[in-house]
Amino acid sequence: MTLAARGPRYRRRRATDLIAKVLGVAATLFGLFFLAWILLVSLRNGVHALNLQTFLQATPSPGGQGGLANALFGSLVMSAIGVAIGAPLGVAAGTYLSEFAERQPALRETVRFVNDILLSAPSIVLGLFIYTLAVRTVGHFSGWAGGIALALIVLPVVVRTTDETLRLVPNVMREAALSLGIPRWKVTIQVLYRAAAPGILTGILLGLARISGETAPLLFTALNNQYWAENLNGPTASVPVVIFQFAMSPYDTWHDLAWAGAFIVTVFVLLLSVGTRAYLLRNRMDSAG
Amino acid sequence: MNDRTSDPSLAEATRTKISVRGLDFYYNASHALKNVQFDVPEGKVTAIIGPSGCGKSTLLRVFNRIYSNYAGLRATGQVLLDGENILADSYSLNRLRTRVGMVFQKAVPFPLSIYENVAYGLRHHVKLPRVQLEERVEVALREAALWSEVKDKLQSSALSLSGGQQQRLCIARAIALRPQVLLLDEPTSALDPIATGRIEELLNQLQRDYTIVIVTHNMQQAARVSSYTAYMLLGELMEFGATAELFTRPKKRQTEDYITGRFG
Amino acid sequence: MSTPSAAAIGPLVDDARVAARVAVEARQDAAFRVVLLAAAAFVLLVLGAAAASMLWGGRDAFATFGWKFLVSDQWDAVGHQFGAFVPIYGTLVSSAIAMVIAIPVSFGIALFLTEIAPTWMRGPVGAAIELLAGIPSIIYGMWGLFSFVPFMAEYVLPWVNRNIGQVPWIGPLFRGPPLGIGMLTAGIVLGIMVIPFISSVMRDVFRTVPVSLRESSYALGSTTWEVVWNVVLPYTRSAVVGGIFLGLGRALGETMAVTFVLGNAHQLSTSLLMPGNSIAATIANEFTEADSDIYLSSLIALGFLLFVVTFVVLAIARLMLHSLARKEGR
Repeated sequence: MTLAARGPRYRRRRATDLIAKVLGVAATLFGLFFLAWILLVSLRNGVHALNLQTFLQATPSPGGQGGLANALFGSLVMSAIGVAIGAPLGVAAGTYLSEFAERQPALRETVRFVNDILLSAPSIVLGLFIYTLAVRTVGHFSGWAGGIALALIVLPVVVRTTDETLRLVPNVMREAALSLGIPRWKVTIQVLYRAAAPGILTGILLGLARISGETAPLLFTALNNQYWAENLNGPTASVPVVIFQFAMSPYDTWHDLAWAGAFIVTVFVLLLSVGTRAYLLRNRMDSAG
Repeated sequence: MNDRTSDPSLAEATRTKISVRGLDFYYNASHALKNVQFDVPEGKVTAIIGPSGCGKSTLLRVFNRIYSNYAGLRATGQVLLDGENILADSYSLNRLRTRVGMVFQKAVPFPLSIYENVAYGLRHHVKLPRVQLEERVEVALREAALWSEVKDKLQSSALSLSGGQQQRLCIARAIALRPQVLLLDEPTSALDPIATGRIEELLNQLQRDYTIVIVTHNMQQAARVSSYTAYMLLGELMEFGATAELFTRPKKRQTEDYITGRFG
Repeated sequence: MSTPSAAAIGPLVDDARVAARVAVEARQDAAFRVVLLAAAAFVLLVLGAAAASMLWGGRDAFATFGWKFLVSDQWDAVGHQFGAFVPIYGTLVSSAIAMVIAIPVSFGIALFLTEIAPTWMRGPVGAAIELLAGIPSIIYGMWGLFSFVPFMAEYVLPWVNRNIGQVPWIGPLFRGPPLGIGMLTAGIVLGIMVIPFISSVMRDVFRTVPVSLRESSYALGSTTWEVVWNVVLPYTRSAVVGGIFLGLGRALGETMAVTFVLGNAHQLSTSLLMPGNSIAATIANEFTEADSDIYLSSLIALGFLLFVVTFVVLAIARLMLHSLARKEGR
């Protein structure tokens, strides 16, 4: 023990340390408290409002009974478009950054920088961008525009995870494949992608989880639709936008449906997030063994 | 053909496989290899030894130009494989690598089955009917002394093998293409003594059909497996000669210092 | 199957075959690289095009109102007079409140997870905090509007009004009717949303402090708090600031959580208990109702302003986060 072991200064230091520790615990409890509150409220109200009709009927007019079927379908389709466009572009860009940019460090770092900003940029901004690009130009809202807006949110997520995952593949593996006389593109696709597959897939799934709850970009692109959209060339319903519209309304039945929608979205997103994390963990342990 | 005995006194009868002439290597501004000059004999095991940072791995990696994947690395001078300069732009990388194979310090099987690992290079370079492909895979695995251990589980993942087995798989993968030269960069430094012994035995058998160049930081290993040894220090080739000679009657003081353990 | 001898198998690849493929493979590699480069360039294009398109869409508003756009608190759809001051004020104030809450709480959580919690607890609790980041913002909005707002209106705000509202100097900030919705509530909800982002950055960087540095401090008799305050924080200072800026960037751009609980009132008031408006909430709420070109242009101009501000904040965040990585030679 130090010389000042029992002196008043030591006691004060111990007190400060204790206070800090208590505050740390308190902060954590604060965070966990709100997490629990939010989840419990969503689950309780959602379960209460959820029934078979929710999945079978389209959204009702003000005050009426109905479901979320058209919104669920619209979300599904637009998310699929978002991933179908955003994921391949993201993987390609991430591959460039990790594998093919060794002689263009300035370009590489600029793209990484810009991508990081896009990653955290407000999604409402991206929605406005697609509005001017794909809605104003054709004169009407559409599911396609919604899908494109979602693609722009998936893109930076996939770019970053692909880039980082590929960089984790040991250099020796690249060299081992190249020293067999295999051209670089084949090495990338046949060896590196296989080695990095769990991480890349995780990135795509995280992108999907992210767009599942996005509202703002859809507000200006796909808008909303009370009925089933015949095709994607017109306004298309989506779950987040329906939640927004219904929750801000004065109608109780609409509130109920909003909670049902919130429940579905929350469960889906959380399952996806937790599931991909578990998948990644399990795969990491396999390859390390 | 070439001389098959390991009697160094008959060295003059051995043909040269790789001839290194005035080789300099640069990592950006840093001068890593300085005017290296020596001949790698055919059908023998040549060891490159030296303390950390002496450039032995750098030298090895010139032989299959694996450095060309990175920016800022360049080599000047000549490295003649069967008389042709492999450093020339006109010598294609893929052609070079079908003739010069490499095994690395860390065993890196591809995330494929054992069979597919060995067949990977084969599939790319030649169109073979399945039976012939299987034959070549088997031959490669036998030459790598791995066949008996894996013949019943060729379809299982290569990652399920032990460290020593994975390294032998990497050797099988490299020799499946039947290169003329096999480069090994500290192939046993991550393995236990028993696995190491098996690979050293393997090298002894392989040298009948391949010219082998092995980098090792373990002098005893160099003495065990090689017929010729090159000693490098700070980017320069200090001495090259028959292994027995170099270890018992080194010509240079620096070589003697290293071998007797005065440093490194 | 008989095993052929190695010699009988013979050489594999003949020169002619390899030579024939050299040119083809070189072309394939080049084509592959071009495709990947195009995708990477696309990322740059998205950012540039987004900025340009919003500047273009907002040009009418900027041209019509000029610099006054930034300081005018008018918002008159009928008279076609629009000013960004109220939304800007709301965005900044709600974000400021969010940071006041989020920074200390995030620090406390990072402290707990890196120094205080027993090892077995760190994974699950850390994962739970990360869940807060995964909850979509519209869920925060729903919970905010239907659970948190009534709670604030009934229990917290009357207390705040009665007690803190009477304190000299800062009193007027906390005086007002307990509506529930308003700047303070929005700020708190935003703060909770932003906590996981800041705390996860802090946690990650705290863990990068070399063990030897911390252990030598402990060996000299420091308490846990002293190690964190005197060793860990200074070492990770720029990354911690980077994490804070990252949280700020998120708070500034948050739409749905704020839209539900801020009140969407184009009015300025000193009291934090009164409703207000933020840039993102204004755009979200009024976009579909914009019935004139100048109205629409004003909303897009607001979007451009938000874009510029978040860009700067996020750029600073990234620079600071990377300066720590550079220090470690990564």
